[in-house]
Amino acid sequence: MSAVKHRDIPLNKISDWQWEIPISYRKDMRVPARIYASEKMLESIFRDRSLQQLVNVTTLPGILKAALLMPDAHEGYGFPIGGVAATEHPDGLISPGGIGYDINCGVRLLTSQTTIDEVKPYMEKLAQKVFENVPSGVGKAGHHRLSINELDEVLQHGVKWAVQEGLATEQDRQHIESGGCLHEADPRSVSRHAKERGKDQLGTMGAGNHFVEIDRIDEIYDKDIAAQLGLYINQTVFLIHTGSRGLGHQVATDALREMMTAMPKYGVKLPDRELAGVPFSSREGQEYFQGMCAAANFAWTNRQLITHQLRQAWQSVMGNGNGTLEVLYDVAHNIAKIEDYEINGKMTKVIVHRKGATRAFPAGHPDISELFQKTGQPVLIPGSMGTASYVLVGAEGAMKETFGSSCHGAGRSMSRTKARKEMQGDVLLRELSEQGVLVQTKAVRTLTEEAPYAYKDVHSVVDVVHNAGIAIKIARLRPVAVVKG
Amino acid sequence: MKTYKVMPHTADVRLWVAGGSLEELFAVALEGMAVLIKESDEGVAPDNIITEKVEIESADQTALLIDFLSTVLTLSHQNKAVFRHIMFEKLNETNCIAEVRGYPADGFDDDIKAVTYHEANVVNDKSGNFSTMIVFDI
Repeated sequence: MSAVKHRDIPLNKISDWQWEIPISYRKDMRVPARIYASEKMLESIFRDRSLQQLVNVTTLPGILKAALLMPDAHEGYGFPIGGVAATEHPDGLISPGGIGYDINCGVRLLTSQTTIDEVKPYMEKLAQKVFENVPSGVGKAGHHRLSINELDEVLQHGVKWAVQEGLATEQDRQHIESGGCLHEADPRSVSRHAKERGKDQLGTMGAGNHFVEIDRIDEIYDKDIAAQLGLYINQTVFLIHTGSRGLGHQVATDALREMMTAMPKYGVKLPDRELAGVPFSSREGQEYFQGMCAAANFAWTNRQLITHQLRQAWQSVMGNGNGTLEVLYDVAHNIAKIEDYEINGKMTKVIVHRKGATRAFPAGHPDISELFQKTGQPVLIPGSMGTASYVLVGAEGAMKETFGSSCHGAGRSMSRTKARKEMQGDVLLRELSEQGVLVQTKAVRTLTEEAPYAYKDVHSVVDVVHNAGIAIKIARLRPVAVVKG
Repeated sequence: MKTYKVMPHTADVRLWVAGGSLEELFAVALEGMAVLIKESDEGVAPDNIITEKVEIESADQTALLIDFLSTVLTLSHQNKAVFRHIMFEKLNETNCIAEVRGYPADGFDDDIKAVTYHEANVVNDKSGNFSTMIVFDI
């Protein structure tokens, strides 16, 4: 076994894709920490405090097996981004810091039956229509303004509400993680402030790294599975990346504040305020989980309404002869879930925290839709503007090693401030245009914060999870048009 | 002494704030957050002043500052307004009662998801100055 050292943190090499910080490194560690990365990628992980944060995660009461870090890791709050941890159900800790402020931030892939060559003549018009139909930016209201009672229905039932309202089909729902509804949701556990923030935000994208993208499939890695998923070379597809908007942010903020006050009551002491948590079975733990599930339902409904708005844009520009947009899959990458894993030879119920990590259940897993029983659950990994995104499917390795989890994106490597200093927004727009990527945004000044050079190499990130047997590469997407807030 | 400075952060925004008193620290932190939300006054409706009362109790002065900014951030989103000014009724290490004033804005520059406790630690130095880092989740 070889090893490297970062500051005083020892990393033992387990394989070319996996490293371990031993439990002996710090007295308060309850389990080891494991990092999925190539040796080269460790360099970018070393640049911030991701590893220190990961070690802090190993101290959570009730944590099982190991705290895990995906290759797209960077520093976060409490947990690093790309962090995965499972605590014992029902008395292990639940920590909002292990889920993130943007509850159920996630990605949805829509497929068309049209090649990119057929769409190209209409691309500018289509991108413009998408920009008009999907409100973006901060403080912008959506087309659907709900009463608090209607909002409670969304929080309770998620995408089932959209089906009832004629904004989704039952088939859409079958193509969403958890069917777009977590049954543990309780709208009574969502504060009035959170509801006020969310009631006009359904069907909105937001800003920052959120986007709607039109892509073409430019590479197929597994022809059989791609065919089963209905993916083919040069196909036009759409990616949606957004979450629970202000409603979810407020649920997390409210919970963190309450948990910091409640922690002494349960004798919980942790090395970072942002790791604040309480036993899952406690009143505060249950209220947060119910509120988090409600926010997750809101996020899935948000991506569903954006889907509805994109279908309208597609039909308006492409007419009736080009079919509609179908949901391939929708994944959450900031969430906590109750799942079962074999630990020390025994099936164990756990609370899995995924903070910037995607569920990656393999073929045959009972919790995925019948539609994906033979292929495994699609795992959607968005890249940055101008690079590439990937479709993978979950693999057995994820069940054995990573609590059914994979990476969630490229992962930032450069600060927003530095990214803005590197290049002017209009120069980036021109460069992307020269590469064949059309960008629609009102935020040209801040566009460079999300420039490709501010992110890690998505190809290397995806190769790590593929080679580690956590998720298998199926197809690569190249952006053609990007709509941003 | 009242000052703020944006510092580098991999994914989000890190703001260093300092003031000659706890009141100044709160005021400058509010000003810094307002600039992040909306840098210029373009699109602001100055004739339409919005005032909101905030009452906060927290475990210590660091939590109080973060909880105060979180509360104002919520008000900004609810009112679609930028709050830049503050009038204190009461401020000590664990309690803040104040009125914040702002203006409606047509859209914000940055989507601040949350004001985090990450790196926050209000320090009162020998000269009586207060300072802390504040990290905003963008």
